[in-house]
Amino acid sequence: MNQNKRTAGSLLGALGRNVVLIVYALFALFPLIWMVLCSFKSDVQMYNTVFRFTPTLENYRNVLFGTDYFRAFFQNLLVSGVAVVITIVAGVPIAYALARYDFRKKEDVAFTILSFKFAPEILVCLPVFLIFQKIGLYDTYFGLIWVYQLVTMPLVIWVVRGYFEDISVEIEQAAELDGYRWYEIFLKTLVPLIKPGLVAAGLLAFIFAWNDFTFPLILSGFNVQTITITSMRYIASDTVHYGQVAVAATIAVLPEVIVCLFIQKHLVRGLSFGAVKG
Amino acid sequence: MAQLTLRGVCKRYDAEKKLFHKKKESNLAVRDLSFSCSDGEFIGILGPSGCGKSTTLRMIAGLEQITRGDIYIGDTRINDLMPKDRNIGLAFEDYALYPPLSVYDNLAFNMRAKKMSEDEIDKSIRYVAPLLKVDDLLDRKPTALSGGQKQRVNIARAIVRRPGLLLLDEPLSHLDGKMRQTLRHEIKRMHHEIKCTTIIVTHDQMEAMSLADRIVIMKDGELQQMGTPLEVYDDPANVFVAGFIGDPPMNLLPSVIAELGGLFFFTFPESEIRIEVPQRYQKALHNGMEVILGVRPVDILIDDGSSFSTPASVSIFEDLGDERRVGVRVGGQLLNITTNDSAYYEKGQTIHMSFQAERTHLFDPETGERIHVPE
Amino acid sequence: MAQIELENITKRYGEKTALDHISLCVRDNEFFVLFGPAGAGKTTLLKTIAGIEFPQEGLVKINGKTVNQVEPMNRNVSMVFENYALYPQLSVYDNIAFPMRSRLYKKDEAYIKSAVDRVTKMLNISNLLDRRPVQLSNGQRQRVAIGRCLVREPNVFLMDEPLAHLDAKLRHFMREELKEMQSSFNTTTIYVTHDYMEAMSLADRIAVLNNGKFEQTGTAHEMYYEPANEFVAKLFGEPEINLFPAEPYEEDGVLKLRAFSKDTSLIPRGDVSAALRENGGKTVDVGIRGADIDFSFENRGDGWVRGSVYACEPIGNKVIVTVTVAETQVRVVAPNSTKAELDSDIYLRFHTEDLLYFDEMTKESIGRSGGKRPAEKTKQAEGVVETWHS
Repeated sequence: MNQNKRTAGSLLGALGRNVVLIVYALFALFPLIWMVLCSFKSDVQMYNTVFRFTPTLENYRNVLFGTDYFRAFFQNLLVSGVAVVITIVAGVPIAYALARYDFRKKEDVAFTILSFKFAPEILVCLPVFLIFQKIGLYDTYFGLIWVYQLVTMPLVIWVVRGYFEDISVEIEQAAELDGYRWYEIFLKTLVPLIKPGLVAAGLLAFIFAWNDFTFPLILSGFNVQTITITSMRYIASDTVHYGQVAVAATIAVLPEVIVCLFIQKHLVRGLSFGAVKG
Repeated sequence: MAQLTLRGVCKRYDAEKKLFHKKKESNLAVRDLSFSCSDGEFIGILGPSGCGKSTTLRMIAGLEQITRGDIYIGDTRINDLMPKDRNIGLAFEDYALYPPLSVYDNLAFNMRAKKMSEDEIDKSIRYVAPLLKVDDLLDRKPTALSGGQKQRVNIARAIVRRPGLLLLDEPLSHLDGKMRQTLRHEIKRMHHEIKCTTIIVTHDQMEAMSLADRIVIMKDGELQQMGTPLEVYDDPANVFVAGFIGDPPMNLLPSVIAELGGLFFFTFPESEIRIEVPQRYQKALHNGMEVILGVRPVDILIDDGSSFSTPASVSIFEDLGDERRVGVRVGGQLLNITTNDSAYYEKGQTIHMSFQAERTHLFDPETGERIHVPE
Repeated sequence: MAQIELENITKRYGEKTALDHISLCVRDNEFFVLFGPAGAGKTTLLKTIAGIEFPQEGLVKINGKTVNQVEPMNRNVSMVFENYALYPQLSVYDNIAFPMRSRLYKKDEAYIKSAVDRVTKMLNISNLLDRRPVQLSNGQRQRVAIGRCLVREPNVFLMDEPLAHLDAKLRHFMREELKEMQSSFNTTTIYVTHDYMEAMSLADRIAVLNNGKFEQTGTAHEMYYEPANEFVAKLFGEPEINLFPAEPYEEDGVLKLRAFSKDTSLIPRGDVSAALRENGGKTVDVGIRGADIDFSFENRGDGWVRGSVYACEPIGNKVIVTVTVAETQVRVVAPNSTKAELDSDIYLRFHTEDLLYFDEMTKESIGRSGGKRPAEKTKQAEGVVETWHS
C-alpha cells in the first residue's frame, strides 16, 4: 500500500540529508585541514596549489627544536590547569550555596557571575592591565591565573548549580540522620552525583582557558608566554612563516582535540543534564 | 452518532524508531485487536501503562497510522481519512486550551474555522456548556481556571460540535480525589444527556468500572476481555483480568490438587492448609494438577466451623471502619478476607473459612486462562 | 525505644504558619499515626522531631530530655522520606549499610552483614542487593528505604508517607506486610499518611492534623465512630459520610428532626434527645454513613424519602448510588448487581440508630446515637495516656 511509497521517499530524504551534512562538515573543517597541510609545506611552496606539494618536516624541526616552544606549551598547561583547579575548589561551594540557600538578591548574584562570560575580554583587559601594573601582577603566573577565573568560573558554577538543584535535599538530610558530618556528606554523597557535570564543565573550562588570547596578549610579557601568543612570534619582520605558525597552531590544538574525543559523550550528557530547567 | 468497529488492528513502531533494528513480532504495540461498540455506548479501554490503550485511541482518532487491520465508523472504513474528516471529538490528558482566548472563544474556535454561523455556534455552546457546568465560566481566560475547570472546558470543546465519536485519553489523571469523583459524575451525566458514543482510556480500574457500559481490558497490546463491569468482575477470563479488576484485588494462590479419600483438595506450598474443591470442579481436575485458585476477599466467609470450612490462623486483622479485613498466611502469600461482621480477631486466633462454589475461580498456571467447568 | 514529646511547637515559613502551637506525647513503643490532608503540616512535624527543621517556639523532648539544641545525627532517629532519598550511586546493600558505617553509629562489617540480611529477608529484597536504585521498581525502592530505616536501633522510626507513590494494589500489599512486621518493630514509630485505611489499620493512636493544628487525637475506633467534628468525620470512610442539616421539633412529646423538605422527618433515638435539647433546639447537621441507608425503587410509604438518582457507580464488590434529595447529595452503598437509571426516582430510608450529630455553626460534635457498633478492642496500656489539646 502506501507503505512502500513512504520508505522510498524516506530513503531519498536520508540521502539528501547526509549529502548536505557532508558538504557542511567539509566547509566547517576546511580551515583546520588547511592548517595541518600548511604545517607540512615549505615556505617556498606556501602559495602554490593546495594539494600538490612535497611535504617537509622542516617547519616542525624549526619550531620544536629551534625555539622555546615547549616552554610555552608547558606554561599554558600550568596556567590553564591551575586556573581550572582553583575554579573547581572555589566554584563548587558557590554553586552549592546558590542551589540550596535562599538569600536576598540571590538570582542577581547568579546572573552577575554568568555575565562574566558574556563580557568581551578586550573590554576589560585594559583596566585590568593598569591595575595589574600598579599592584605588580603584570607578567606573573598568579595574575594570569586570577584573570582566567573570569573565563572558567561562570560555566562551572552554572552547570554544577544545576546538578545540585537536581539532587533532592532529602538525600543530605538522610545522611545527616545516619550520623555523617557535613564534609563526609559532601564527599561521599554529593561529589559522586555532580561528577559528570563537574568533569564536563571543568574540561570545557580548561579548553576556554587554553585557547585564551586576549588576556595573555595584554597581561603577560616575557616571563609568561602562552602558546596562543607564541604563535605570533613566527610573524617575523621580513616575512610571515606561515608554515611555522601552522605548526605552532597544530600542536597547540592537539591536547584539546584529544580531550574532546575522549569525553565527547560525557560532554553533552554532563552539560545538559543539570542545565535544562523549567 | 456512530457505531465503531475494529477488526484485526495492529500497530508496529519499527519505522519510526531506527535504533531498534529488530523486526520481530514482539515490537507490536497493538496486536490483532478486534471489538465493536454500538451507537451511544460508553466504552472504557483499561490496562496498565504500556499496554497499547493510548495507541489504540490515537489510531481511532487518526493521529497514528494503522499498520494492519481496519477501523470502521458505521459502514465507512476510516483508515485513510484525516482526523478532521472523521467527525471525532478529542480530549486529552493535558488540556491544551488557547491561553489568550476566553472559554467561549476556545469552545467556538473549531466551529469558526469551519465557517459556521455565529448563531449556530452560540446555540451549540449554550447547549453544551451547562452539561459540564462551564456556563458561568464562559468569559474567563484559561489562566483563571482550576485544573478541574480546565478539564471540563477541554471536554466541552470536544463535544460542542456534536461529533459522532468522543475520545477521552486519561482525562482525570491530573486531578485529585474529590475533583475526580465530581468530574466522573459530570461526564457520566453528560453522556446520559447527549448519548454520544464515547471511548475513555484509563489505567484506573475504578474509573473504568464506574463510567463504562462495557470495558475493553488490554495487556501488552492484546485484548484480554471485553464485557460489562459486572461481567469482568464476576467472570474474569484469565488471571490478569482477575487480578486487575477489583479493589482490594482478588486472591490468586498457586496450588496443587491432592486427592484424599475420594475428594479433591487444594493444597499450597509451604502451608498445611487444605481447602476442599467445590463439587462443580471435581470432574475437571486430577491428582497432582497445578492450578491457580482465585477468590475475592468478600467471597470468603468466616463461620463457626461447620464441617465444610477450613481452619486457619489469623496473621493480621484490620478494622477499617466500613469493613474489617483478616489476613491468613498461606505459605508465602497472604490470603485476604473482607468481612462486615462486627467480631474482632486476634493475631494467632483460629478462624474457619468457607468458600462459595460459584464465587471460586480456577486458572491454568501456564496460560493464565480460566478453567471452565465441563457441562 | 523512647517517649517523644512536643510542647507548644510553632513553625513558620515566612508568612505561613505550618505548625500552630502543637503539643503531643507519643508513648514508648507506640505506633502513632499523623493523619491529614496534603499541606496540613505532617511532614514538617516529622522533620521537627528529627531536627531537620527548627521550630520558632516550643520544645522537642526525647525521653524527657529537651533536644532542641541537639543535632539531628545525635538524636538517634531513623527516617523514611516520602521520595525515598536513596543514595543513587550506592548499591542496595550499601544503601542499607550506610547508616552503620558512619562514625557515630559505626558497627563492624560482620554485624553489618547480619543486620542487612535480617532486614532484607523481612522485606523480601534479598535478591536485589547488588542493584542500584535506578534499576529498581518503585515498590522495590520503597522497601529499600524502609530497610535503611529499620536497620538501626534508634529512639524512634519516623515514616513520611512511605506508601504514597505506589499503585493501589501494591499499597494494599505493602500495608499488610507492614502490619505483619509491626509486632517485631519494638520501637516507637511515628507514621505519616493521608490514606485513612493505612491510618486505621496500623495505628495504636491517630492524630488528625489540619492547617497546623490537631483536630482530634485518639484510637482509630474513636475517629470513625466518635469524630470530634465534621472535618474528621469526612476523612474516615469510603464513600464519604453524608452530612445534611436537620431541624429538631417536638410532636406529641417526641423529638423529631425535619430534614430535606417540610414533609420528611426522622425520628432520632431517645438517648440523643437530651443533647439536642441542650443545643437549644437549633438546626443541627446530621451525619450518616452510606451503608446505613436502605433504598428502594418503589415508594414504601412512611419513613421513606424520595430522591432522584444523580450517579450510579459500580466499583466491584458494591455500587455507590449518589442520590439528590432536595438540594443535598446523599451517597448510598448498594449491592454490586444494582442498576439504577440516571434521574429515575429512588426512595431512601435512614437508619436513625446510627446517626452522628454536629453543631451547624461550629461543626463540632454534639453526640451520637447509641446503636449497634462493634466493641472496641482494648490494648494493654503501659502507663497513662496523656494528650494535650491546643
